[in-house]
Amino acid sequence: MEPVIFHADMDAFFVSVEELFEPSLKGKAVIVGGLPNQRGVVSAASYEARKYGVHSAMPLVTAKRLCPHAVFLPGRRDKYCEYSRKAEGIFRRFTPVVEMVSIDEAYLDFTGSERLYGAPLSVAHRLRSEVERETGLSVSIGISRTKLVSKVASDLAKPRGILWVLPSHEASLLGPLKVGKLPGVGKATEMQLRDLGVMTVADLAALGRQSLNDLFGQWGESLYCKAQGQNTAHFDFHDEPVSISNEHTFAQDTSDPEEVELTLAQLVEKAAHRLRAHRMFARTITLKLRDLHFRTVTRAASLKEPTHLDGEILDRVLQLLHRSWDCKTKIRLVGVGLSGLGYAPMQGHLFERESREKKTRLYEAADKIRGKFGFDSITSARTVK
Amino acid sequence: MELTVRKFDILREVGLTQGVIEKKNTIPILANLLMDAQGDSVQLSATDLELGIKCSCPAKIKKPGAITTPAKSFLEIIRELPDADIRIRTLENNWVQINCASASFKIVGLPKDNFPILADLTQSLVEIPARPLLSLINKTIFAIATEESRYTFNGALLLLKPLSVTMVATDGHRLAHIEKQIPLDPLNTELRTLIPKKALAELQRLLAEADEKDVVSFGKDENHLFFRLKNRLMISRMLTGQFPNHEAVLPKDNNRSVVLNREDIRSAIRRVSLLADDKSRSIRILLANNQLEVSSNNADLGEAKEVLETSYDGEPVHIGFNCQYLLDFITATEDTKISFDFKDDQSAGQMRPATEEEFRYRYIVMPMRL
Repeated sequence: MEPVIFHADMDAFFVSVEELFEPSLKGKAVIVGGLPNQRGVVSAASYEARKYGVHSAMPLVTAKRLCPHAVFLPGRRDKYCEYSRKAEGIFRRFTPVVEMVSIDEAYLDFTGSERLYGAPLSVAHRLRSEVERETGLSVSIGISRTKLVSKVASDLAKPRGILWVLPSHEASLLGPLKVGKLPGVGKATEMQLRDLGVMTVADLAALGRQSLNDLFGQWGESLYCKAQGQNTAHFDFHDEPVSISNEHTFAQDTSDPEEVELTLAQLVEKAAHRLRAHRMFARTITLKLRDLHFRTVTRAASLKEPTHLDGEILDRVLQLLHRSWDCKTKIRLVGVGLSGLGYAPMQGHLFERESREKKTRLYEAADKIRGKFGFDSITSARTVK
Repeated sequence: MELTVRKFDILREVGLTQGVIEKKNTIPILANLLMDAQGDSVQLSATDLELGIKCSCPAKIKKPGAITTPAKSFLEIIRELPDADIRIRTLENNWVQINCASASFKIVGLPKDNFPILADLTQSLVEIPARPLLSLINKTIFAIATEESRYTFNGALLLLKPLSVTMVATDGHRLAHIEKQIPLDPLNTELRTLIPKKALAELQRLLAEADEKDVVSFGKDENHLFFRLKNRLMISRMLTGQFPNHEAVLPKDNNRSVVLNREDIRSAIRRVSLLADDKSRSIRILLANNQLEVSSNNADLGEAKEVLETSYDGEPVHIGFNCQYLLDFITATEDTKISFDFKDDQSAGQMRPATEEEFRYRYIVMPMRL
């Protein structure tokens, strides 16, 4: 299936939010970032101000010189965040696969959703009009098979534009562009390339893979791919882990069962805390033991019911420990692993519902306290010497 | 040992012992069947140490004695023999010879000395009518957990009272509860017993051949349960542990009830479940406005929906279930009308036959989060 990746970029986001609260700013040169006599840089500039050469990251003083009549605003971070969340909420109504890359731009994966929404262009129009209707802000959207091309496309489409790059037309879109338009190609690379006579993306592609590799090493390989419009469609917002593990190496090898069990209890506590932070449940529990001769054994047990509770995990870990350790061999390292991760089981329980719910609430409360005061602020008595 | 038996007499008994014999046992003798010829019958025994079966069939004993033979091969041979008298005798070095008409087999045996001694039913505590007992098992056994670390869920609870017999099984997500009013002789107290799933499955086979008037003698010693039906005795290791408090989960105020035609709801669920999520097997039930809607959706495949007309016009109920759990009950019950009783979308749903005649039968299922 061909990937369908949107890059949605809010137009002059900070300035547009300011205009919502102060409509008289519309059409004026507006610069957000601070007052002109302050030290600091431009966070955002309206399209009017940009006509004078003002751009973000420019010192405020320079901006003032270029565009003396501009309205300078200090900026309201909380409002921007609020509107960013609103926009994200709308994105998520369309697809669950949304990666917010910054406060005002996101990648959306619409791969395989044609039957749900129709062609990419029509869903892009709906997305843009819903954002406008619900936030009063305008957004530009680039569509292609890769994140890189979509990002370039949304930039070309601005303001309030939609640009769909048809599959296999990536190179012809990118070719005439300045190399600096490629995401990830900064001033330094641009200068180096200019010295080589490379001005446009087409020039870059013409250099060929081998020369770029020779000149820039791995970065050259990456540049070559960028020039071809080849880039990932992979969404790394998938921060859901495949497994979670925690290990501990003893300061001195030990054969003291109490110390080993206590350490395991601490490791379980850490691992379960991370598991719950992802709102996940584990089905497989693994114990890792390394002895003084560096022999490593791992033993795993599968649960019928996935769990996220310290107690249930620790019971299994200790069972595995007693099955795989003679309490004599000195242990150098212990580890606990959780895998077979998934979201909350949907099937309800007939028995012990209350005690399960109570335990869940208890651990959630402990997690909250840890979130505020640090992991070691609260711990179960089992992990204390 | 030397004896002659009729093919069908011994075939039926040998067939009954097969379920007990462990296919992947590490102790070789447990793959064998013990034949013990005494008087005018031959007794057959098989065990996997958890469960044992003893049965017998009439035989002409020429020379009393005992031997064990590989159970699977022995059954296969008997089954293929012509319908005639079979002569079985031991030769030297534990060889066993089987002759029937013009066919002749020689198979390796093992001496009986290494075969475990199966406990005997010394005193029957109570006689349970066989047919009703079979119904009780058929209507609960499916709810027993197949794998569960808390192993008291691996069996069903048999509750014998002077005037009733009850069987309860659960896997923690659903519970089947069935009770029959029946005078039990001679019982003047309450008897609680946990029976392992494998023993129940074997009992099903034993009881399948029972007649209307047959009774099962039930007894126990410290470690074993005994069930005897005529010439057949089943011995099971006892399950120890606490069966969950099932009384507490039997719903009392599931007032949103709808009566459905068993065949209608069964085919609807079977159809809709074709597009249920592969992993969770969840389907939705929406009960409102004189309709019961069963629906499913599968992210990879699509969605399905079926509507049944009902007489229900109460508060709407929107609830999710594992479709297999519902089908298990609908398949087990024989009644043509089934009642679904709900409280709300969070609480356990109850299913039962709409009219109660022979049994009081209840099936409790926890919903799935939608």
